[in-house]
Amino acid sequence: MKDLKNIYFTIIAILFLSTLNAQISKAEIRATGLTCSMCSNAINKQLKSMPEVASVDTDLNANTFTVTLKKDNTLSPKIFKDKVEKAGFFIGVLIISIDAAAIKSTNFINVNSSTAVGSDAKIQILDKGYVTAKEHKKLLKSFKNIATYEANSEDDFHIKFVK
Amino acid sequence: MKKLIILLMFFSLSLQAQIKVGDTMPTFTLLDSSDKNVSNTTFQNKFILIDFWASWCAPCRLGNRKLVQLHQTVDKNKIEIIGISLDTDKTKWIKAIAKDKIKFTQLIDPKGFDAKTAMQFGVEELPAKFLFNNKGILIAINPTEEQIINYLK
Repeated sequence: MKDLKNIYFTIIAILFLSTLNAQISKAEIRATGLTCSMCSNAINKQLKSMPEVASVDTDLNANTFTVTLKKDNTLSPKIFKDKVEKAGFFIGVLIISIDAAAIKSTNFINVNSSTAVGSDAKIQILDKGYVTAKEHKKLLKSFKNIATYEANSEDDFHIKFVK
Repeated sequence: MKKLIILLMFFSLSLQAQIKVGDTMPTFTLLDSSDKNVSNTTFQNKFILIDFWASWCAPCRLGNRKLVQLHQTVDKNKIEIIGISLDTDKTKWIKAIAKDKIKFTQLIDPKGFDAKTAMQFGVEELPAKFLFNNKGILIAINPTEEQIINYLK
């Protein structure tokens, strides 16, 4: 009986988690650090180690890693930050492609008036650790009226739509 | 059974780690900047310095300047300097060779970090240098120019 209860709990937890993380189809990462991020294979390796990742492409001119994810993944943007930091670098810019309809129902807070529709809306994560330190300082000033931004909770993401 | 062995061989190849000091030089044949096949086995009884780089790698381009200087000062009967580019775009590689005024052997393995030689040597970061002695034994990884000159004395 106890086991059954546990199973119920797990199912509920999984359902809850999957609504929390709207499905991300793609992530564009620009990494920063003391050394040349594209000259190292570390970020590439970290990203490719995830079973949810279908492919990793590198744009050497834009210093960007484009990560295409498999369908039905429940990844949170946090995983990209963790992986890049594990490789010894930091995120400078993180833009994810996501279903615009799912954004409202999840833990994303749109800090900009502009919005988008469609299954492939591009959003940039603006929280600490997802932008450069310099950019974060600037954003703290511009978002001083948004209490959740300064609170810097790991459970919500402040976003803006990008083209 | 045969299939299994082939599979195992494939895995052991793909899992190859970085070569260590004391290891023998892996053999390879690659195209040079004038589209000729060059094998590293042609350079016998000489020290060999292998430099992995790419045109888009800024620290490598700085390193090229030092290597060009080194190439001018060393006895060419004693040491062969071989650059291996991991560029996927050949034209950018050719341009970089001209711009950096490289006169030593330049080969290309145009597959980025997935290139076969990058895997053979275990290159995880650019630039990466490997110095082999005249018996083809690895004696130093990422040596400085001064260290290379000292080895040749």
